[in-house]
Amino acid sequence: MDTLLAILTIFAQPELLLLVGAGTFAGIYIGAIPGLSVTMAVSILISFTFSWDVYPAISLMVGIYMGGVYGGSRTAILLNIPGAPSAIATAMDGYPMAQRGEAGQAIGVTTVMSFFGGLVGILVLALAAPFVADFALTFQPRDYMLLAVLGILLVGSLSTGSLVKGIFAGAFGIAVGAVGRDPLTFAERFTFDLQLMEGGISFIAVMIGMFGVSEALLQLQNVNLKSVRQKIDRIVPSFGTIRKYLPLSLQTSSIGVIIGALPGTGGDIAALMAYDHAKRVTKNPKVPFGKGAMEGLVAPETANNAAVGGAFIPMMTLGIPGDAVTAIMIGALFIHGLNPGPMLMIDRPDMFWFIVGALLTANVFMLIFGLTGIKIFTKIVEMPRSVIIPLILLLSIVGAYAVNNRVSDVYWMLGFGVFGYFMRHYGYPLGPVILGVILSRLLDDNWRRAIISEREDLGRFFEGIVTSPLSLVLFVAVILIFVSQTPLWTALKIRLFRKATS
Amino acid sequence: MSRKLIGALVALGLGASVATAQDYPTKEIQGIIQWGAGGSTDTVMRSVTPHAEDALGGTIVMQNMTGAVGAIALNHVASAPADGYTLLMGAENPMLYKIMGLGDKDYSEFVPINILARGTPILVANNEAPFDDYAGMMAYIAENPGELRIGSTGPGGVPSVITAMMNTVEGDLDVIAVPYDGDGPALTALQGGAIDVMPAVLGAAIEGIRAGTMKPLVLFDTQASDKLPDVPAVTSFNEDYATYLPWGPFFGVFVPKGTPDDVVAKLSDAYAKGAEHPDFVNLMDNRGFTMMGISGDEAEAFLTKWQQGTAWLLHDAGLTKASPEEFGIARPGE
Repeated sequence: MDTLLAILTIFAQPELLLLVGAGTFAGIYIGAIPGLSVTMAVSILISFTFSWDVYPAISLMVGIYMGGVYGGSRTAILLNIPGAPSAIATAMDGYPMAQRGEAGQAIGVTTVMSFFGGLVGILVLALAAPFVADFALTFQPRDYMLLAVLGILLVGSLSTGSLVKGIFAGAFGIAVGAVGRDPLTFAERFTFDLQLMEGGISFIAVMIGMFGVSEALLQLQNVNLKSVRQKIDRIVPSFGTIRKYLPLSLQTSSIGVIIGALPGTGGDIAALMAYDHAKRVTKNPKVPFGKGAMEGLVAPETANNAAVGGAFIPMMTLGIPGDAVTAIMIGALFIHGLNPGPMLMIDRPDMFWFIVGALLTANVFMLIFGLTGIKIFTKIVEMPRSVIIPLILLLSIVGAYAVNNRVSDVYWMLGFGVFGYFMRHYGYPLGPVILGVILSRLLDDNWRRAIISEREDLGRFFEGIVTSPLSLVLFVAVILIFVSQTPLWTALKIRLFRKATS
Repeated sequence: MSRKLIGALVALGLGASVATAQDYPTKEIQGIIQWGAGGSTDTVMRSVTPHAEDALGGTIVMQNMTGAVGAIALNHVASAPADGYTLLMGAENPMLYKIMGLGDKDYSEFVPINILARGTPILVANNEAPFDDYAGMMAYIAENPGELRIGSTGPGGVPSVITAMMNTVEGDLDVIAVPYDGDGPALTALQGGAIDVMPAVLGAAIEGIRAGTMKPLVLFDTQASDKLPDVPAVTSFNEDYATYLPWGPFFGVFVPKGTPDDVVAKLSDAYAKGAEHPDFVNLMDNRGFTMMGISGDEAEAFLTKWQQGTAWLLHDAGLTKASPEEFGIARPGE
């Protein structure tokens, strides 16, 4: 009964309801603009809401978080520029749909599926938080490393065209991620003794440059092309469509919750892994992946919104942040006089249920705002290119500067934009570069931790993998996916098939 | 034309400097936080600054500038004009930049506005660890050389100083130091069993200890804390630690050297008042920090003593890139 009351607190106070709504609305736009990130918005809100009570402050932050994760998909679909790292995979099939004039439909499906993913995440948070948190804690450095290797194998599904070029792009991304002072030993890597390089290359700057600027440059070539008329009659997907993707979205939502709950991995990795999963389990997509497959939209969007609920799991049960945003929220709870930690659930269960309630409300608001503003939004793609291109460049510059308030990030962004433009021209996929940058530290740090823990003994390292069930499952998954993506497997299949027939 | 422009600029500059001294602050003040959002430094600064703003009657806009162990923020503020409109909100790390080869600047190029508080290090262990106190851990290390995994946060971090202290007092310990990027991730790993022992700040570990998700071994202080009265101070096991203790990381607000004295006085006054606010005192107490609230000569003396003690401890343990002597950091007591 108390639980129900705590969940419903938000409805008892119209002011809280309003704040969640306003937060979600603002979040959608913050998420949609490349460079304006949820992390940034929430950290500004800490100072802004300092004198408020804890409930209103948290309401606003939860709204922004939920809305922001969803908002990233908007620009990904309409302009081929992911508004946030977690929407990178969304662009791969969302933009081709917009090019065919199906932007309205793409946004509609994205919205409903984000809602569904968000719901799954919240349900797991509400019903199984302690179990998931305990499970997340059992991940050892070697497991994180295997997870990163698993992630790097996604290069295969992110590469449109040549796999070799994809591998090159991925390796380049890993190298970019390693630039700067190594966070574990503070040794300088690839810095060439330049102070500019010491802080590393901002991942967001790379992303905005590669997707935003290079897209704008590419569009310059068909500046006079008539823009595609968007069909906006079928925005809300039919029940049949939703039911068709239900099994897939349940799987990808689960991926999202688990990856979100792991401290150190978040919605961006979850969305990419879900995309890969969808590509592997969907045998005969109506439209091929990369050309506007509906499955390619459903998977990342369910996963990244499910990761929101997932990220709250270790935060609420253990006081350990699941990602950057929940890390800031822990700080906010401290400032408001609470003590986030394992005791929070026991001392202040109302806080836990209040957050569950706020997340649920934000999720509903997301659905409402997401489905209502589409007509105006799709007008963006119908604007003449001579208006859109300067706008994209402006947003990219503002976004890159806003990450750290550093002008050097703007230069990096522009540099990577031009580089990305030439990569596209020569058929190098950009997705693997970003994947490499995201996974670089996860792989590097955890490999070193794992091998240092085993006294730099490879024998002991593999012994650890074989004796731990979790590591073993991950290791086998890595091997299976690797083998299934290489020519070895095809050769093997042919041979086996021949044997069977002869 | 150009002469007029220069004249105007000079006049503007003069006008600005006069205004600075008299009615500071006339515009928004920038507060550069050395560490990321949600971390200890960030939390402390964001909770004290609004109270200081009230006392100052101005606005301080805070922003996180991370990277290179805080050196990027430090260099940014050091190169900003010394007019009191750019504050550095930092932790203890810059005091070790020079000897660690991380940079050529430290707080000696700054004037301390307020050293707000100090943390107390505590040694915590995974619940499954086969020992329950400091003596038990020492015995375990002696019997199982090279098996105990201690969490670390890179050279110059709290764990590296505590480990150096242990090596100096107890003789070289054969343990594995596993690096993490911050005590948060390391304490998470401790609970998952990836490391056995972690020297952390009391504030970061206290909630876990209260909930029983990790066990406290020993407090690195000269006396037990009233937050955890059952945890013994390390000096009760080995008197030799008293040479280096009390020691701990600290948080402070700084401005570049050359800032007008009356601006420094106004800021110091504002932060001193802010630090006395009951909400802030409560927050710091809850997180197990020791309030300091010192400024002026007292703060300078504290910084010098802290730097000497820590720098030589790390140097003697062979963890530094350059000798403290090169930078004129005297051996303590000399």
